[in-house]
Amino acid sequence: MNGTFSDSVLDAHAIDADRDAEVLHVSLDAVLGHDATIALLVDEFRKRKLSVWDRSRVLFVNDHFSPAASVERANISRLFINFSRELRIDNLAIDKGICHQLLVEHALCAPGALIVGADSHTIMGGGVGACCTGMGTTDVLYALATGSTWLRRPSGIKVRFTGSLPPHCSGRDVLLALLGQLGEDGAQYRSVELYDHCSKPIGQDDRFAISNMMVEAGAKFGVFIPDQVTIDYCTKRDGKAPRPLPLPSPGAHYESTIELDLSALTPQVAKPYSPANVASVREVDGTKITHAFLGSCSSGRLEDLRVAADVLRGQQVHPEVRFVVIPASMKIFKEALRLGYVETLTEAGAVFNQTSCGPCGGIDKGLLGAGDVCVSTSSRNFRGRMGDVASSTYLASARTVAHAALSGRLVDYA
Amino acid sequence: MPETTSQPAQLRGQTWVFGDNLNTDVLHPPSYYSLDPNIVRSGLFKGIDANLQERVRAGDMIVGGHNFGCGSSRETSIRSLQLNGIAAVVALDFARIFFRNATNHGIPCCRIVNPEELAAFRHGGEATLHLDAGFFELPDGRQVKLAPVGEFVRKVWAAGGLLGLLP
Repeated sequence: MNGTFSDSVLDAHAIDADRDAEVLHVSLDAVLGHDATIALLVDEFRKRKLSVWDRSRVLFVNDHFSPAASVERANISRLFINFSRELRIDNLAIDKGICHQLLVEHALCAPGALIVGADSHTIMGGGVGACCTGMGTTDVLYALATGSTWLRRPSGIKVRFTGSLPPHCSGRDVLLALLGQLGEDGAQYRSVELYDHCSKPIGQDDRFAISNMMVEAGAKFGVFIPDQVTIDYCTKRDGKAPRPLPLPSPGAHYESTIELDLSALTPQVAKPYSPANVASVREVDGTKITHAFLGSCSSGRLEDLRVAADVLRGQQVHPEVRFVVIPASMKIFKEALRLGYVETLTEAGAVFNQTSCGPCGGIDKGLLGAGDVCVSTSSRNFRGRMGDVASSTYLASARTVAHAALSGRLVDYA
Repeated sequence: MPETTSQPAQLRGQTWVFGDNLNTDVLHPPSYYSLDPNIVRSGLFKGIDANLQERVRAGDMIVGGHNFGCGSSRETSIRSLQLNGIAAVVALDFARIFFRNATNHGIPCCRIVNPEELAAFRHGGEATLHLDAGFFELPDGRQVKLAPVGEFVRKVWAAGGLLGLLP
């Protein structure tokens, strides 16, 4: 035990007395699932005649086939919805947003909570100081039935942010810079603990983006140490202040520390075919693109839509670019409608798709064909991830995506 | 879903060898996500080599470098390993979700102790995995040592997968 934030959260959830065990048996505050991964456990769950340990602590979201674009997927979605109703899950959201966004919009995702979800980007709940991690279907079946899971105690990596985010940069640029330093396995099994010591705190939407992508370095948790930003967000969301904030020990021991002065940050991209293949936008300036995507759990939030609308206001998307925009939740979409961002982007030639995961996981509308070059706010640019194996994707911020959609090329606008 | 039997002590089969950071999107591309076992089976390795899945035989093993199985948690990739009869995965180290998923289904994931010994494996060659003794035996008699597996993981294997531990 090292006194890290995740140590204190795991200790608060440990079921067995032996806190030094190789693998800890821990209780859970919530379980998250979606159509594509929960559908895989339906037969086994029914066959074993299992029941859910606590229906009020489960959030199930139909977000991958949302609504379905093929008969097979319509059947999978139907299976998932029927199963969720059969279990009388309290929190069932159909076509209301991406599960990770809906989790952080829910009071279940509280600072200090321990949550597992049947999707790798569940880690995003770390943006509000919850220890959230992704697992496969079988682990989630076990969690649903028992309200518990098995975890190794991770060692910690401390990330200390200082300075302040330049106006042309966002959380997406921060996380890409971090991934560039860590590499694809630099945080394997670790708890990445994010300390915001900036002169102007990192905004909540940017925190979600950063936590979301820590899994791309292999992390188990990517958690912001709760602070006033967390309190403000949770208070507004829940109508009351969060319970007392858990904190790491003052003498917490970390395996390594990364200092990142955000004042020096420039816009970043991840080149094909790895989220950790990071370069500055300047280095790829002029790269021709055919497709731009603003969406996914890693982005598609109100601030991202605002930035894109600001860039494209009164202008037109490049004629050779298809620009697809997907808000991360219905709540965000409605807010963006109200604020005029949807109109601005639509007038500029962007295509809005329904709130969902969209093409990010290579499964829904907006996929890439052979030869397509995409700049995307999504989470992964592995070969074939967003469509044909002969397509390629650059990961970037909403601002970089919007500028590229406008000019048909990646441009160094900073 | 998990097998109901524990692992045999010796596994012999072809070895399919890959490098570092092999992600699940190329191991089993998202377009092969399905509840249809035939589609899931056919998707194995499709993001790496369009023809490799046809050469796989039951009992074969996968050999990888660092961070094997990074990326998506979709268990269809593990189902595809099972449907193709992949008996074990050995690598220098594993991405955590892949390790959990494979272990939960009773597919052994073992770490190679000395990274330089990775070069001893041939893509499409043969080898025998001595699971209990913790080493690989290559056709020329060479032995490649594997890191000991923890007590909890052995318990999961012995239960035939995680669901064997359900109360």
